[in-house]
Amino acid sequence: MKRSSKGKLTIVLMSLIVLSLGTVLAIAWAEAEPDRADKTGFREVLVGLIDSIFERDRAGESKPAVVKTNPPAHRAWHDRVASARQRGKETIPLVKDVFKETASERRARLAYRLRPKDIPAEYNFFVMNCPLVNEEDDFYGPVRFMHKKHASISNDCSGCHHYRPNVPDASETMRCSACHQNSFNPIAPDRIGLKGAIHRQCTGCHKKLHRGPIRCSSGCHEKRVRDHTELVELSRKPDALEVTKECLRCHPAQGEEMLSSTHWLWKGPSPFTLGQDKRVDMGKATVTINNFCVSVFSNWPRCTGCHAGYGWKDASFDFTDKTRIDCLVCHDTTGTYRKDLKAAGMPDPSVDLLLVAKKVGKPSRKTCGNCHFSGGDQDFVRHGKLNALLDFHGSSCDVHMGGLGFQCHDCHKTRNHKISGRSIALPVAEGSRSCNHCHTDAPHQEKSLLTHHLNKHSDHIACVTCHQPVYAKYTPVKTYWDWSTAGDKERKVKRDEDGMPDYAWEAGDFSWGREIKPVYAWYNGKVKRHLLGDPINSEGVTNLNEPAGDIMDRESKIYPFKIMGGTQAADAKYNYLLVPHLEGVGGFWQALDWQRSFASGAEASGLAYSGEYKWVETAMYLSLNHEVLPKVFALSCVQCHESLRNRLSCGRCHQDKRGVDFRELAFSGIDEKLIHLTRKADRSQINETDWLNFKDLGYKGDPILYGGRFKKLPLGWKVASQKK
Amino acid sequence: MNISRRHFLGVAGGMISSAAAGNCKKVFAARQPKAPPNPYGCVVDLTACVGCRTCEQACNRVNHLPPPKERLDDRTVLDQKRRPSTGAFTVINSYYSGRLDEQNQLVPTYVKVQCMHCQDPACASACITGALSKKDNGAVHYDKSKCVGCRYCLVACPFQIPAYEYFDPLTPRVRKCTFCYERISMGGKPGCAAACPMEAITFGNRQILLEGTRRKITANPVRYLNKIYGESEVGGTSWMYISKDPFEKLGFLSLPHYPMPHLTETIQHSIFAYMWAPITLFAILTGAMWKINPEQINHAPGFQAQEDHI
Repeated sequence: MKRSSKGKLTIVLMSLIVLSLGTVLAIAWAEAEPDRADKTGFREVLVGLIDSIFERDRAGESKPAVVKTNPPAHRAWHDRVASARQRGKETIPLVKDVFKETASERRARLAYRLRPKDIPAEYNFFVMNCPLVNEEDDFYGPVRFMHKKHASISNDCSGCHHYRPNVPDASETMRCSACHQNSFNPIAPDRIGLKGAIHRQCTGCHKKLHRGPIRCSSGCHEKRVRDHTELVELSRKPDALEVTKECLRCHPAQGEEMLSSTHWLWKGPSPFTLGQDKRVDMGKATVTINNFCVSVFSNWPRCTGCHAGYGWKDASFDFTDKTRIDCLVCHDTTGTYRKDLKAAGMPDPSVDLLLVAKKVGKPSRKTCGNCHFSGGDQDFVRHGKLNALLDFHGSSCDVHMGGLGFQCHDCHKTRNHKISGRSIALPVAEGSRSCNHCHTDAPHQEKSLLTHHLNKHSDHIACVTCHQPVYAKYTPVKTYWDWSTAGDKERKVKRDEDGMPDYAWEAGDFSWGREIKPVYAWYNGKVKRHLLGDPINSEGVTNLNEPAGDIMDRESKIYPFKIMGGTQAADAKYNYLLVPHLEGVGGFWQALDWQRSFASGAEASGLAYSGEYKWVETAMYLSLNHEVLPKVFALSCVQCHESLRNRLSCGRCHQDKRGVDFRELAFSGIDEKLIHLTRKADRSQINETDWLNFKDLGYKGDPILYGGRFKKLPLGWKVASQKK
Repeated sequence: MNISRRHFLGVAGGMISSAAAGNCKKVFAARQPKAPPNPYGCVVDLTACVGCRTCEQACNRVNHLPPPKERLDDRTVLDQKRRPSTGAFTVINSYYSGRLDEQNQLVPTYVKVQCMHCQDPACASACITGALSKKDNGAVHYDKSKCVGCRYCLVACPFQIPAYEYFDPLTPRVRKCTFCYERISMGGKPGCAAACPMEAITFGNRQILLEGTRRKITANPVRYLNKIYGESEVGGTSWMYISKDPFEKLGFLSLPHYPMPHLTETIQHSIFAYMWAPITLFAILTGAMWKINPEQINHAPGFQAQEDHI
C-alpha cells in the first residue's frame, strides 16, 4: 500500500513537471517570433492567450526600440509574388452551372457583401498566363493585372464577377477561368472562352472609361519576338557594320526611327529645362556638363563607348548614317554582347556577332543595364538607384524589378524607338513616366484609416519620398569626385570595406556612400541647368542642375535626390567650367598636364581658355526613382511627424474607436526594419523622427501641428504656438 | 393538208411551252439542296470585333501565305474596303453606319470578309471539273489537281470571293478561304477563330451554333438586330454574322433566300432534261425546212454533188 501511494505521488509530480515545462516551452515558442507571417492557428491562439493573461498590448511593442531581422512582411510579399505567378498558370475545374440573376440584382447584393478593401493581400495582383489562352498561339507574354487597383477604381465587384456558381456554399467571386475556359464548350455553349471573356471585359471597360490600354502590345502584353535564327543571313565572322546592314534589310523603318532618337543623337528637345524649353539641341552631346567625366567634347572614343552606334570618334561623326547604328547593344538576348569601352562604341572583338545577331529579341534589364547600370565603366559609379543588383534581393531592393520581375520597358514604354522617361541629369526627354500612370493619383487602397491620409500626401510628396527612405541599399555609390587631386601616380590607394578605392591617379579623390538618406527638395518637373559656358557661382557651390519648385507652387512635390558633389576646373578669367581632355594625344592621362588638357578641351568645345584655371565646387542633383520599396519598408508616419511620437493628434477628428490602435497605425512602416535588413546600417537614424526637415522645406514646422502648405488645421484647431 | 404558217407556229409554240412547263416543274421539284446534313459553321459577332487584324495574321500563318503587305498595326487599311485576294484569304474592313458614341464620334463597325462557305455553293455548281466541292464538315474545298483554270467560280460566286493567280503563268490556282479544312477535320478550329482575341468568331456545329445565336439575340435585343446574316441567304452559309447595325450599311449584299444553283441548275437542267430541248429544236428545224421546200432538200445540188463524188 505504501509503495503504491508513493508511486501515485511520483506520477502526479512528474505530470506536474511535464505540464509546467510544456507551458514554458509553449510560451517561449509563441514569444519567439510573434510577428511571423505564417502563423499557424495554434500559435495564434496561444499568442492571444498569453497576451490576454498578461494584459499586454502588442501594438505598443512595435516601438522602434525592438530590433527585428528579416521582417515577416517581406517574406509574405515574396510568397505573394510567387503564388501569383503560380496561380496564373493554373487551370481549375469548370463551373458548370451559374446562379442566374440580373446585373442590378447582383450589383446590389455584392455591394453589401464585398468591398474592394476586403480583397485579401494575396489577390492584390495576378500574373495572367493561362495555358487555355495560349494553346493555339503564343505571341504575347503574360499580363500583370492589378486586381485590387481595378476593384478600387470601379468600386463594383459585380462588374467583372458577374455570376456566381449555382452551389450554396460557393464563393461569391471566382477567377475568370472558373467559368470561361474553352469557347463553344458543349457543357455551356453560350459562354465565351477565357480569351474572349478577358479581352472583352478589359477593353470594354477601358473604352468606356477612356483609361487603360486598348491596343495589344503597347498596352498589356509584351509581344514575343520571332526566332531570327533562320532569318539572319550573315557570313561566319561578320563585322559590326555588316550586322547592322543585315538588320536594316528587313527593318529600314526602324533604322529611320533610330536616327531621330536621343539614344542615337545624345541630344534632343528639352521641354523641362527652365528657360530653354524650346531648344532641340540640348543633351550630353552638346551643352550639358556632369560631375563625372564632365563633357563629351574631346573625350569621344571613351565617352561614346556607350553610344548606341559604331565609331563616334570625333566631332565629324555622321549622324545620318543608318549603317552605324548598334542594334545589338539593345536587342541582344544572349547576354554575351559587350562594347569595347574605349573604342567609340565598337563591340568587343571577342563577341560572336553571328550568334548575337541570330538571337536578337526584346531589350531586357541586362541590355539597358549594360550602359545605364554601369555608367562610368563600373557598376554603381553613377547611379545610386540603378545597378545590376536590382534583380536580386527581391522586393527589398526594388519592388518592381526584383519583386515582380519587371523589365525596363514595362514602365519606360517605347514607341518607334523613342523611350519614354526623363532624367533630371539630362535635358532630353522622349516622354514622361510617373508612378501615377499605373498607380493613379490615389495610390493607396488598403482597408485602413491611414488610406485617406496617405492619398492626401500624394498631392504634396512624391511616392518615392516614402517608398525609398534610403538609396544605394546594397551597393556603394560614388558621392563625391575631386578632380583637383588627380595625377599622383605614387599615392597609395586605400580601399574601404566594400573594396571601393578612395583615389585614382586618373581622376582624383572619391567618396563613397551606402544606404544614404536622400536630400529632399520641392520639385515641379522643371530643372534649372548649368550649361557649357554659363558663369559659375562665385560665392559657393555651382549647381550643375537644380530642381525647380517651391512650397507655394501647386505643381511641386517633395522629391528625394542624390547629390553628387565634385570639384571641377573653371577658367579663372572667364569664370566658366572647363572641359578637360583626358585620353589620347594631348590628354591629361598621357601628359599629366592640366594646361594642355584644358586648352585641348576648350578647343574641342569651342570655348576660349585664358590659360589660368581654378578649382571650384560643383554639385549635381540626381533623381531617385528606382529602388522603390513596398509598403512594408516605406517610412512610417512618426518618422517625419515628430508630433505623433508621444501625443497622438488623431483624436482631433477620429473618435477613439474601439478596435483601432492609432499608435500602431502611426508607427507601422519600415521603422528600422530596412536598415537592419542590410549589412551596413547607419544606426543613428533609428529612433529619429526628422526624416524630412519641415523647416528646411519651408513649413513652419510639423504640418500636423502647424497646418499644411495650402490648408489650415481642421475643425478650428489652432496652430500649436498660438495655443500656448 | 392546208396548214397556214401562223397556225403551225402557234401549235408548235404551245407544244414547246407546255412541255417546258411540265418538265421544269418536274426538274425544279427534283432538285434538292445539296447542303451537308451536319456541317460546322462560324458566327461572327460584329459588335465584338475590334478590327485588330489578328485573324488576318493567323490566316496567313496557317495557310503559309506571305505576311500581310500592310503592317498589322496600320489601321488605315481598314478604310480601304479590301477584298480577299491571293495573298489574303480574309480581310477586315471598317464601315460607319452613322452611329455615334458619347463623344459624337462615328463608331466604326469592323466586318470580316472571307469565303462564306455556302451550304449549296454556286462556285461548286459552276465548276466544270468538280475541283470545288462542298464537304460534309461544311468547307467548300478546292482541289488544285482537278482545276483547269476556267474561272467560272469567280463569276458564279455571289460574294465575289475567289481570287485567281493571274501572275502565275504556269500553275495558277484559284485561292480562297479553305475553312481550314485540314485543321477542322482533325478536330481543331479555323486559324482565325482560334486567334481572335475577342472571340468574335464562334466556331462549332452550325445547327447548335444557330440555336445559341438565336438565344443570344433574344437575350440582348438592344445589342443585336434580330437577324442572322447567312442563316438563309443563298440557302444558308457556314459563315454567319450578327450585328447591331443594318447589314446593308455594312457592305453585305441583299441576296435571295434560295441557293444560287437553284436558278442556274433549274434552267440548265430543265433545258437539257431527256434531251427534249435539242430534240425539239432539231425537229422544228427539220419540219420547217421540209415545209418550206421538201423538193429542194432531196434534190439540192450539194447533195447530188456529194453523191456523185461518193
